[in-house]
Amino acid sequence: MIMIEDVHFAYDGIYTALQGVSLQIEKGECVAIMGTNGAGKTTLVKHMNGLLRPQHGRVIVDGADAKNLSIAELSRIVGLVWQNPDHQLFLDSVRKEIEFGLKNLGFTPEETDAQCTQTLKNLGLEGLAERSPFALSGGERKRVALATVLATEPQVLALDEPTIGQDAQQKELLARMLMDLNDRGRTVIVVTHDIEFVIEHFPRTIAMAEGRIVADGSTSSVLSNEDVLERCSLTLPQLTVAARALHKAFPQVSERLTLLSELEDAVSGILGGTQ
Amino acid sequence: MALVEFADFSFKYLGADSLALRKVSASVNEGEYVVITGPSGCGKTTLCRTANGLVPHFHRGYIAGNVFIDGQNTRDATVAKLASTVGLVFQNPANQLVTLNVEKELAFGPENLGVVPEEVRQRVEEIIDLLNLEHLREKHPHEMSGGEQQRVAMGATLALKPKVLVADEPTSNLDPRSAELILDIIANLNKRNGMTVILVEHRLDLVAKDASRIILMDKGQIIADGIPRDVLSMDISSEIGVGIPKATQVYKRLQAKGIELSRVPLTGEELALLVGEAKRR
Amino acid sequence: MMSFLEVFQYTRQDSAVHNLDPRSKMMLAFTLAVISLLFLNIIPLMIILMAMLPLLAAAKSLRRWARSMKGMSYLLLFIIIFNTLLSTVSNPFSHSIALAIRLLALMTSFSIFFLTVHPDQLAQALIQMRVRFEFAFAMSMAMRYVPTLGQEAYAIMDAQKARGVELDKGNVLKRIRNIVPIIVPLIIVSIRRALSVAESMESRGFGASENRTYMELLRFRRRDWAVLFVSILLLVGSIYTRLFVTLPIWMLFQLPF
Repeated sequence: MIMIEDVHFAYDGIYTALQGVSLQIEKGECVAIMGTNGAGKTTLVKHMNGLLRPQHGRVIVDGADAKNLSIAELSRIVGLVWQNPDHQLFLDSVRKEIEFGLKNLGFTPEETDAQCTQTLKNLGLEGLAERSPFALSGGERKRVALATVLATEPQVLALDEPTIGQDAQQKELLARMLMDLNDRGRTVIVVTHDIEFVIEHFPRTIAMAEGRIVADGSTSSVLSNEDVLERCSLTLPQLTVAARALHKAFPQVSERLTLLSELEDAVSGILGGTQ
Repeated sequence: MALVEFADFSFKYLGADSLALRKVSASVNEGEYVVITGPSGCGKTTLCRTANGLVPHFHRGYIAGNVFIDGQNTRDATVAKLASTVGLVFQNPANQLVTLNVEKELAFGPENLGVVPEEVRQRVEEIIDLLNLEHLREKHPHEMSGGEQQRVAMGATLALKPKVLVADEPTSNLDPRSAELILDIIANLNKRNGMTVILVEHRLDLVAKDASRIILMDKGQIIADGIPRDVLSMDISSEIGVGIPKATQVYKRLQAKGIELSRVPLTGEELALLVGEAKRR
Repeated sequence: MMSFLEVFQYTRQDSAVHNLDPRSKMMLAFTLAVISLLFLNIIPLMIILMAMLPLLAAAKSLRRWARSMKGMSYLLLFIIIFNTLLSTVSNPFSHSIALAIRLLALMTSFSIFFLTVHPDQLAQALIQMRVRFEFAFAMSMAMRYVPTLGQEAYAIMDAQKARGVELDKGNVLKRIRNIVPIIVPLIIVSIRRALSVAESMESRGFGASENRTYMELLRFRRRDWAVLFVSILLLVGSIYTRLFVTLPIWMLFQLPF
């Protein structure tokens, strides 16, 4: 679905943001990109919809070389959801906000109308359709910004730090929605620091540091690699800490547990006999 | 009297439809480390703003009840007057750095209050020492990472020598390592320097072990207030959706199955310890 | 293209010029600028310009200056050509060259100030020159947040481009309409930020006390008095020369056309 080949990019030709990044994301995958600020995560994602063009290397989106497609054309395939919803909201109603992108990206008036209504319904925003985005709470604005992208039905959805400022329940809701989209064949990419969010929902993790990919593989293996965690300013997930501590005392417990239920089973396995 | 005392305090922002805080009563004594948590919009931020007088002097609205900070009623005391009693650290580090280098930033608060220059200098050096800021001394905000910026912002607040440090989600914009560092600093301030701390935080797995108390809020009200082990193992905590530490979640699941551990674990290590203990029993 | 502005941007250095008090440098820059404005002959202007180079060298910024001037060269060329074609004086080309050198000299004199004075120092200098703290601080805050505003503007443009806004296409009317999706969020974001910055400043006692103190006051040292004295002497001398002394012929040299 997305293929990035040896991409280099430097802002103003001085500050090197990407130095030879190659990766491949298949259709229907669920991928997390993690790393410190300045590791090049956002720069990488901006290459996927043409906001940035590689200074060296190639970006292939849905089989076509991205350099032949405009930002608008690429954005219909790869929808980007930004960290700060305030960077895009400017109209006086939620509905208009959703319609704006649809019209610009070439949907017909009928499609625009249908998509808009459908998206409002899917995200539970019907009640807010005529409200001004500026009068909404931070969490609601974030949802509106997401709606503007989802309405265009992109094949790939890329979200930048979607969990910042969200509470546990909102995160759960977001995760459920993303997994639902993924079940319907969409590719989901998140750029995030939120280890717990990643380990619970994303099977694959790409770790970046200083403009390079330092690890790419299954989330449980990437996030248990101490060297990678160190370089990416990440910490061990809670469950891994617990699993390791248990493993020390009870070697039969695997160090690599990632699910709450696995840990629960392991502990009841240990204690089952004594009860 | 307690250092911070909320007495039946309610507040509604000007132009808002509903109360941001309703009949909040709580007190925080010297030396405590209180963590406040709850879902978005539960009134945590308003509570922080109330502690240093931003509510009602900066954010206007309707109030009922009183808040006393070290004996002063916040209705009468201005934010500036409270500044040397309550120090407030905010969520976004960049918005708290208003000068062009770290030294100036640390000096900003004391200078505003008219502290004599020699003492300002002394405080700046103390903070630089305390928070390990030596290498950042001359740095412009743009030349620092988010974690470094937040450390400086915290230092700038501490330079006012407050009795209470109030921090409103200081780690939510930071990467996990920087977040841990900031939370470690806060825990140490409480432990070593006896600083009273009120911290709003989602990542309970990182703070519950150091906190002396957790206050749980929802819809502007305090719905639970007690030691971390008690509050986090209450059913209500998981119902309103706060980030219960995984170890505590495992404890609760085991409990449901009839497996009891001797106390509520807050971290993975503690869980392993308790399991070991139970096994030997 | 805008690289010539670099010459007005503070660079952190440890040099004799950097270590001077901003107030004495202000006087020096003012003097040099006035002298450049007093004369409009190639030779005197060249002398002034050349006299400033050692100062730049002392500020360890000669290379930076040269780079900026290279960036300026197109602008200068443009000025010379147009001025030569449109001017009504007798020796238009010579006149234009002189004008170009004067512009260089003016820029250089200001750059000696801005290259070596940290905005914080400038604010402090203003405060000690009896400008109200709030005004001086507002200026340094502007320096602090203008780059942030710039970054924010880029982020907003990216966000809107991804929604199909084409910023550099269409006729004038369309382009103007396309600015709306950029400007509105920029204003909103700025207001939100301003509020949050104000909250933080308020919490640290901004504007609380009439007797605000300053950790460090600028102190005039002997070398600052020297610079001040020399500047005034130069200023008075040049004005006197301009008004009462006839310059020798070689100083008035003009190109033949």
